[in-house]
Amino acid sequence: MAKFRTSAAFEAATDDLDLLPIRFERLGDGRVIVANMLGDMAILASGDLERIVRLDMAAGSELYATAAEKMFVRRKDQLSSLQILAMRLRSRMGFLRSPTQLHILVVTLRCEHSCPYCQVSRRSTDKDRYDMAPETAERAVLTALSSPSGRIKIEFQGGEPLLNFELIRHIVPFAKQAAVAAKKEVDFVITSNLALLTDEILEFCQEHSILLSTSLDGPADLHNKNRPRPGGNSHELAVQGIQRAQQALGRDRVGALMTTTQASLGRVREIIDEYVRLDLGGIFLRPLSPYGFAVKTKQFTKYDTAEWLEFYETGLRYILQLNRVGRYFPEFYTALLMRRMLTDRPTGFVDLRSPAGVGLGALVYNYDGKVFAADEGRMLAEMGDRTFELGDLPEETYSSLVLSDKLVDMVGASLTQCAPQCSTCAFEPHCGADPVYHHATQGDPVGIKPLSGFCARQKGVFGLLVRLLDESPEDAAILRRWAS
Amino acid sequence: MADVVLEFAEASQSIEALRAAAYRFIGDGSCQIDLMSGLYRCALVPARNSKLGDADLRERFLALVTDENLRESIAEKTQATRDVILALAFGALAEAQTAEHG
Repeated sequence: MAKFRTSAAFEAATDDLDLLPIRFERLGDGRVIVANMLGDMAILASGDLERIVRLDMAAGSELYATAAEKMFVRRKDQLSSLQILAMRLRSRMGFLRSPTQLHILVVTLRCEHSCPYCQVSRRSTDKDRYDMAPETAERAVLTALSSPSGRIKIEFQGGEPLLNFELIRHIVPFAKQAAVAAKKEVDFVITSNLALLTDEILEFCQEHSILLSTSLDGPADLHNKNRPRPGGNSHELAVQGIQRAQQALGRDRVGALMTTTQASLGRVREIIDEYVRLDLGGIFLRPLSPYGFAVKTKQFTKYDTAEWLEFYETGLRYILQLNRVGRYFPEFYTALLMRRMLTDRPTGFVDLRSPAGVGLGALVYNYDGKVFAADEGRMLAEMGDRTFELGDLPEETYSSLVLSDKLVDMVGASLTQCAPQCSTCAFEPHCGADPVYHHATQGDPVGIKPLSGFCARQKGVFGLLVRLLDESPEDAAILRRWAS
Repeated sequence: MADVVLEFAEASQSIEALRAAAYRFIGDGSCQIDLMSGLYRCALVPARNSKLGDADLRERFLALVTDENLRESIAEKTQATRDVILALAFGALAEAQTAEHG
């Protein structure tokens, strides 16, 4: 009579296992985040990491199951693991097949605000000197439509772009017509403080499906302190503009961004409440960048990474609380990171990719016809540093700009896949190169990562998100929803 | 003058791992590595704004060296597999481009 074999006969011998490429980061509490080469992560005890590396796991054990599920190990004869990792890696790098989707037109450097943290080094006068000419704008649009992407986004920035609304009114129909001829699609965004919004502008935005993006730093006293304007009424005008735009264009056609200043620290719940009060679709808890007036006025140095991380964590936990009681309200940067961490879909966020998004993700056409590899590069140029300037519109084409030795060298030098510390970091598959930040703060596109505020911030955020996913099923469900 | 000195046997400690640990240590201090009589001598100097005492610096650097040794071990065991995965990923991409453009 046939007998059943024991369970041992069905268990894989662990000497049939191979280790797959893995990385780790210690949490400092005896636990470690372990990740495969695509960034699929698990939190394990330190001893378990060493056991995985030694392939010392009992088949059928929880550790074996985790290691197999996360593709930290594979059976020696299991080619499918390698094929799956390869296919997913290709998907994750798929953004390279649609380069330069974002094209920023700086239609004027003029602005009627006086924000001390202004990254663009605005000017207050001289329309002729600081406004983009129609011919320059047309040339920029034609260059943008030369990018291989089938769909591009044109974002009008400044200064305050509504101060040169005549140009926007001319260039939008021009771009739409040119896009039809090029068999491409084009979307438009205007980033504006909304203080100069009129019904005519709203009608134009509605006619051409233009999104509006504005700045809202929080409740009135905080916003007005951060964003002074003659009359001191920046908040009042921003709120009026948001509400009028929501009514005319739809709630999902208006977005707002905040910038964290020293005055913002300790008030993150009030800032979020202001966004909720205005029925905005979410918030981006954005730190100050090291460019423009933020450096000149020393705003950038008024708080450090640890303080911003505390601000971010308090804000994120408060936002998760709001979501738990039924209000769908994402923190947009977190949602981006969740999408990177939980899916293989590209996000289009130029600061979170390697190869870096400079030139390959976005091009910036300045009011004077100069073209920059990144918006931050344009801001550095206003401070006298032209490292990220790629050329001049009349002389250049899309190909000559993006294939220039300058850009290729810059992108090649800053690959996280090759950079010290980055190349062995568990979070690297979800992170970005940001050569502009490192050039601005350390004079080098790679930077010394242990001294990088960007790196410290990213590691802090990733560490928090991994812990939330692991420790709180309710928060994990909310975060997963943001990723979809 | 360095405050803390650690020594590692050249025969059993990879210089690459020591250098990688020294790099990660930069936020806390600097590390000068010299080879003397078969020993790597690592002289640690705390960063100007470091709040770490000598014992903390020693422990921190030792932990970093341990981790870099582990990373090196992982890389040795998986480099070939990683190359296969990259070849599968981008070899197929190149093939698709060739098919697309003829």
